[in-house]
Amino acid sequence: MRQHISFNLNGRPVSMDVGAHEDAVDVLRRRNLFGARESCGQGLCGCCTIKVDGVPVSGCLTLGLKLDGAEVETVEGLEREGVLDIVQQAFIDAGAFQCGFCTPGFVMMASDLLARVEAPTDEQIKDHLAGNLCRCAAYPEIIAAVRAAAEKRSAHAQV
Amino acid sequence: MLDFELRRPTSLEDALAMLDTDDPSVRPWSGGTALMLMMKSGVFEPSVLVDLTGVEEEHASIRRLEDGGTSIGALATLASLQFDPHLASEAPVLGQALPRLANVRVRNVARVGGCLAHGDPHMDLPPILACLRGLVVARKADGERRIAVEQLFAGYYETVLDPGEIITAVELPTQTGWDSVYRKTTVRTHHDWPTVGVAISLRREAGLIVESRVIVSAATEKLTRLEAVENLLAGQPSNAALFTRAGRTAAELVETIDDAQGSASYKRVLVGVEVRRALSQILEEGSGS
Ligand SMILES: Cc1cc2nc3c(=O)[nH]c(=O)nc-3n(C[C@H](O)[C@H](O)[C@H](O)COP(=O)(O)OP(=O)(O)OC[C@H]3O[C@@H](n4cnc5c(N)ncnc54)[C@H](O)[C@@H]3O)c2cc1C
Ligand code: FES
Ligand code: FES
Repeated sequence: MRQHISFNLNGRPVSMDVGAHEDAVDVLRRRNLFGARESCGQGLCGCCTIKVDGVPVSGCLTLGLKLDGAEVETVEGLEREGVLDIVQQAFIDAGAFQCGFCTPGFVMMASDLLARVEAPTDEQIKDHLAGNLCRCAAYPEIIAAVRAAAEKRSAHAQV
Repeated sequence: MLDFELRRPTSLEDALAMLDTDDPSVRPWSGGTALMLMMKSGVFEPSVLVDLTGVEEEHASIRRLEDGGTSIGALATLASLQFDPHLASEAPVLGQALPRLANVRVRNVARVGGCLAHGDPHMDLPPILACLRGLVVARKADGERRIAVEQLFAGYYETVLDPGEIITAVELPTQTGWDSVYRKTTVRTHHDWPTVGVAISLRREAGLIVESRVIVSAATEKLTRLEAVENLLAGQPSNAALFTRAGRTAAELVETIDDAQGSASYKRVLVGVEVRRALSQILEEGSGS
């Protein structure tokens, strides 16, 4: 089955033909978005994290056809007019990666956490990111980056 | 993943009609987390997938029943179970167990119905719903029936559901007077699939155990209720000596299996330990009268 589907991608309407065999990562790659990467392909590592209708999901476990009618957000949609989002900048400032393969997934999950919990504890950060794996083991820096982003965001909110 | 048709009914009636066939390659789809893995690995090649997530919203809702019980719609996500305020007071064991089930993304999409219908013994939710004395509400084109969660499983990845039969809800009786605990042992990471899952509910009166449910899963071929352990507990005052005996009896009776999570003999020992610990934990934490 191939089907013509329409959805909002990072706020812009798109429509395209999608095959039954494609998952959401395949579909995004055909839109030239490479932030969500398939690594484990089994929902375990988080490298393929995207948001569908406001909640983070594994792109590798999402049928491409199911994007029809959905609101889809990817890491590419976080920056505003060429300026990185607070979480993205915090990852750079904290050096929260080596190879960077896992980074989009961690950034997407961290932004989701910060949208829900204003000042997460380290425990909450670890719980939320438990389904993301970093082969370079930048975990201490990643947790520091999320903490820093939370602080920066609440400082902004108070101004 | 080969070719298939994805159908998206907007009512349960339509979904049931689409599934009214004996063809095993026509299957319901809820969160798709288990199905995607089976399709990617070639274990399952669908011809038609019937996406249940577009049916009436009531089938995803969690609501209080008139008799004090709770109805959990089969399409409720595991995340909605984790954060539901009514369940947090009625059956706190769910909110305690869910943060260690898979990860945020899986819990955002996996549904209670899919979790039960999959028939995988290595799951955390079925034993908990069984110890809470849950009833599965299952519907076919020609009618509805209720099946105790503990009787849903026929074998390894097998349920008693008929072809085309859909789980629409799980009903829990009131939990007033009962205290429940779930203990999950993992051998790799904290959030891994369970090697052993033990779920126990107790109803106590004046310091005596009146009734209980003792459920073991993951270590076994299918979810198993240990009635002999329940009988041993009945009418007894809760104390450490009793709990040690209960653990020993559970370990003697349980039929464990070898798999990637550990050997059968290792799991047998763990079952004994976890039954004892679960009982002690209820004694320490439980509000019981
Ligand atoms: C990375 C990862 C880690 C995991 N870790 C854990 C863990 O630690 N503990 C744990 O318990 N589980 C774990 N799981 C398993 C997870 O809980 C299941 O995959 C999930 O609950 C299945 O629900 P679903 O809605 O996605 O089912 P689906 O994939 O949609 O369906 C599963 C099966 O049920 C059938 N079905 C679906 N809905 C219905 C219905 N309403 N009525 C009748 N049949 C139906 C389908 O046809 C299919 O056969 C993990 C999964 C992943 C991907
Ligand atoms: S590639 Fe999707 S979770 Fe690993
Ligand atoms: S930075 Fe290399 S995998 Fe995380």
